[in-house]
Amino acid sequence: MAVESEHVTADVIEAMEFPELSRRYGVRGVPKIVINETIEFVGALPESQYLAHVREAVEANGKNTM
Amino acid sequence: MGFISDADKETLRDHFADSLTGDVEIVMFTERDSPIIIPGKQPCETCTPTQELLEEVAALSDKLKLTVHEISAAKEQAFALGINRVPAFLFEGAARGRVRFFGIPSGYEFSALIADLVDVSSGATDLSEETREYLSTLTEDVNIKVFTTPN
Repeated sequence: MAVESEHVTADVIEAMEFPELSRRYGVRGVPKIVINETIEFVGALPESQYLAHVREAVEANGKNTM
Repeated sequence: MGFISDADKETLRDHFADSLTGDVEIVMFTERDSPIIIPGKQPCETCTPTQELLEEVAALSDKLKLTVHEISAAKEQAFALGINRVPAFLFEGAARGRVRFFGIPSGYEFSALIADLVDVSSGATDLSEETREYLSTLTEDVNIKVFTTPN
């Protein structure tokens, strides 16, 4: 997604190397995904569900026109 | 003895030759091993292995280039790129947004690294039309954090 949009930044974080980040984001299982600090889920999802979470995060921020 | 076996290097070299279309610069931020022990400060145990692994990957294609910055000497650049911990690296290529890695990319993350290099090289993905269409309408920033472990 970060390849497709200039507005997207994707961070891949090695959870065990950065325990303070893992604690802050409550990482208990991987992959754990956190979008805009608001929407989070664990596990690899089909693309359509992943996109739904991104939409949800954007709408929760009330920032997007869509 | 490197991180990547000779057989895997051969496979990756062929994969890169087939898949990399444009140049990609891997920009890495690291911390030099210090002879001084600073109380309360953990040494960066994965900085050197991460750099060595990236050197091995970058050597597998003429289209890949690795640039390494000592974070304390490149604070402004690191800040501008949102890098606040090491080891970290990102890609400069044809991507519109930004992909950053924090920590050594071993195990699952290594596959993600290779796939991302190919995508950043071309600026294209195999995402569905629906996803790409939605992304093209974004007007505000979206940050996606993916926490992983090596296994």
